[in-house]
Amino acid sequence: MGVRESQKQETRRKVLDAARDLFNEIGFDETTIRAVAERAGVSVGSVFTTFSSKAHLLSQVMEDRVDLLFHELQRVVPHLRGSTADRLCSIFAIHYEFETRRDKLFLAHVAAAFSPNLEEGVIPYGQNARFRGMILETLQSGVSRGDVCNSIDLDLALTSLMAAYGWNYRLAAQRRATAQEMSDLMDRQILLLFNGLKPR
Amino acid sequence: MNHVPMRVIAASTRPAKITRRALAKQQTREKVLLAARQLFTERGYEGATIRDIARAAGMSTGAVFASFADKSELFGDILTADHAALTEAMSDAAQGKTTVDSALMAMFKAGYDFHYPQLPLFAAGVAVSWTWTESSEQRNREAVRPIRDLILQQLRAGVERGELVERHDMRLVASTLWDTYVRSYRRAVFDGWSSDDLQTLLRDQVALILAGLRA
Repeated sequence: MGVRESQKQETRRKVLDAARDLFNEIGFDETTIRAVAERAGVSVGSVFTTFSSKAHLLSQVMEDRVDLLFHELQRVVPHLRGSTADRLCSIFAIHYEFETRRDKLFLAHVAAAFSPNLEEGVIPYGQNARFRGMILETLQSGVSRGDVCNSIDLDLALTSLMAAYGWNYRLAAQRRATAQEMSDLMDRQILLLFNGLKPR
Repeated sequence: MNHVPMRVIAASTRPAKITRRALAKQQTREKVLLAARQLFTERGYEGATIRDIARAAGMSTGAVFASFADKSELFGDILTADHAALTEAMSDAAQGKTTVDSALMAMFKAGYDFHYPQLPLFAAGVAVSWTWTESSEQRNREAVRPIRDLILQQLRAGVERGELVERHDMRLVASTLWDTYVRSYRRAVFDGWSSDDLQTLLRDQVALILAGLRA
């Protein structure tokens, strides 16, 4: 990597760290690009050479966090035992625990996903392909293990699980619910769905 | 909007002069609500200011504040009125349906017929709900409760008819069904799905949720 390239990478890292902290401390709406530049110790111009907008910045911050989360999951998932429903309960619980560590940041991400003018290059929450892939794989392995009915539309099951998962964050937004409370509700929803996913 | 008629009723027991004033106040409220609904639909919640709303209603900002404490109360009034109207439409739609699936889908169709034509307003409501205050959330929960109760009624009717078995907390099933309906609008907002597309997906999701409850 050339000097220029490595400088660019470092600026990018500094900007993303500053943005992540500011979004979580004061919220997305209150954070300005100027404040991000100031905290990162770079010029406003250099923020804009890397990121097209504040929404783009948020989206990148969240993508980086997904890397971190996947690192955690990759250590845990191979050790999961029990039924497919149990495994899914664990995977979703890990997500809730992870995201509530920086709850304000995550809620900013969710709120941005409902913004009427979503820009290009912004990945709304719940659309992360890796996460969806992981849940789908777990369902598929359930079919081969024999505790998920093989005639079930797995995409539909995936969509329903993801919808419940994402929607449960409302409890955090509106009642400051803990990760534990959201996981408890998710467990009950998973059991409800799995009653219909059982082989018959 | 429940407290509005209440205020008018209370006023009517007093001399006629106050009734007229109450009536004028009521008309002002309605004018503001109409203008606000239009602007929220066009620009979303953040995009419409009280000043814009006052201008569109043809009155001063002060006159708006005489009727509403702030923008969130104004928006809350619109959502509450909509939920009341929707409850009625859904209740009518379920009349005479003889299976759980047909009753639920008729109700949700009434929902799509109601919300889809005012999609931007509905989306603004969902967006705001992630960040609103506890009192707004409380108010919204109260407004949605009759709709959940309608869904619950249909599930219980299904149990009585022997279509479903009460295997789960039916309240959880009812709220999961309603949440699934609300969530489905993401596809309309982001992916341009039609009302028919949404109904097709929802029908499958309802079937999946109910699969574990079938007798």
